[in-house]
Amino acid sequence: MKGLLRSMGVTLSAFMRKPVTREFPETHRELPERDRAFPLLLWDFEQTEPFCTGCHACERACPVECMTVLMKDNPNHKSAGGDSTRRKIIDKFWIDYGRCMRCNICVEVCNFDAIAMNNTWSGHEMSVYDRADLVQDLPQLLSESRGGELKAWRAP
Amino acid sequence: MNAELFGSQVNVWVDALVRVLIIVGMMTVVVMGLIWFERKIIGRFQMRLGPTRTGPFGLLQSVADGLKLVAKEDVRPKNADPWVFELAPYFVFVPTFLMFVAVPFAFGFQVRVLELGLFYVLAVSSVSIVGWVMAGWGSDNRYAMLGALRAAAQAISYELPLVMAMIAVAMVAGTLNLQEIVLGQSRLPNIVLQPLPAFIFFTATLAELNRTPFDIPVGESEVVGGPFVEYSGIRWSMFFLAEYAAMFILALLGSAIFLGGWAWPMGEQWGASWQLLLTTVKAGAFIFLIFWVRSTLPRMRVDQLMGFSWKVLLPFGFAQIMVNGFILVNGWPAVTSGVLLGTTSLAGLFAVGWIVQRSVSRPRPRPVMMARSEAAQ
Repeated sequence: MKGLLRSMGVTLSAFMRKPVTREFPETHRELPERDRAFPLLLWDFEQTEPFCTGCHACERACPVECMTVLMKDNPNHKSAGGDSTRRKIIDKFWIDYGRCMRCNICVEVCNFDAIAMNNTWSGHEMSVYDRADLVQDLPQLLSESRGGELKAWRAP
Repeated sequence: MNAELFGSQVNVWVDALVRVLIIVGMMTVVVMGLIWFERKIIGRFQMRLGPTRTGPFGLLQSVADGLKLVAKEDVRPKNADPWVFELAPYFVFVPTFLMFVAVPFAFGFQVRVLELGLFYVLAVSSVSIVGWVMAGWGSDNRYAMLGALRAAAQAISYELPLVMAMIAVAMVAGTLNLQEIVLGQSRLPNIVLQPLPAFIFFTATLAELNRTPFDIPVGESEVVGGPFVEYSGIRWSMFFLAEYAAMFILALLGSAIFLGGWAWPMGEQWGASWQLLLTTVKAGAFIFLIFWVRSTLPRMRVDQLMGFSWKVLLPFGFAQIMVNGFILVNGWPAVTSGVLLGTTSLAGLFAVGWIVQRSVSRPRPRPVMMARSEAAQ
């Protein structure tokens, strides 16, 4: 009987508390900055160009081979009259998110800290009707970083 | 052959038809509201939100469910007894519906003021068990049959404490007319004088409604869905409707005979809207208590259920009636007999609590098989 009354009290206290569930598509829980969604490229705001030099390190390290990288001479390099110190820069970059297994290896091997895991909800809500739409090109990969939507990313 | 309806004279048949239509409409709306209320409340008890998508605050969830049920195919098992199977929902639905006749909402705001209102409600409420057994038998399904028999056993066992509790209250009130019982509580609700019958009534109500912790007849883990395993669509929704309507009526009844209904406090002085508000709030509190118990307690075993009814509730109900008789027969002034009634009944309530506490905390013998295997080692 005592236990019965105590359990009634316990459920009542649960009743008084705020529900822990959220109405998902409308309200999002805040993600931690170390949240690991799909990889994307970072934007160098000082030079107004991507950090990525197209060195192929991530492409070679990728265990599921979801990346395609093409490099070009940087038109903005000092030798060409620009002000960038990057001799080479990324030309084209595709990541097939349908293949990516979010292993974080590309981030670890990158010599220029040019690639990071997306830590916003846009990296999780990626459903599409066609698998081909999961292949992201360079502007798509840079858009989160350029828009400043990524939370301060720190190298582990 | 004229009857008075909303202050004007109309033919009795028109009068009856209007009253029936009002009841049916109100019952459906109330049941849909209750289902929404239950889902929200249980959701909050489990720290969820409950339905939110259909309409504002998920209010249209019951409408959506109802439409889905109505649109479903009317399935009848091949071996089912056609008449029994198809009539069973009506046998559950109609008695519930009939109970509405005597239940008071506010002064003069009920279908009929019956001189034997309490007796009538009791008599009619126990008919629905026939429908449950019919559903179980007609389905030609073992689970359904088992569930129906459990329902019958449970309903018959708990009908008696329910009656005892109501008799105790009727003794204090000195009448079986529900309106007069409510009127008699305009100064003090009966729960103060009779806490033990109030507890017995609430427990027996849970059992009568097959609500947790007494939902043995419909326990999903043991008998799938009880008597209505084979029912779907509109027939199943009729069972559901009857179940929730019965809950609403018993909550109204409980609030009328124990919590003072529309009469306490200040019911007669402050007019009909205050009375309706009182009835709604009290019935709502009663229903909230039912949901609260449901979200807290696990399902009991059959023997625990039966033992609680026959060994605890029924003897205490009898004892309460005896004590009431010994106190009331003297014709003492209201204060003296009131104090005596209240204290004895409260003592009885504590005795029930003590007995339950003792029985659940007593050391239990080791199960035979376990003891044997330990001896063999």
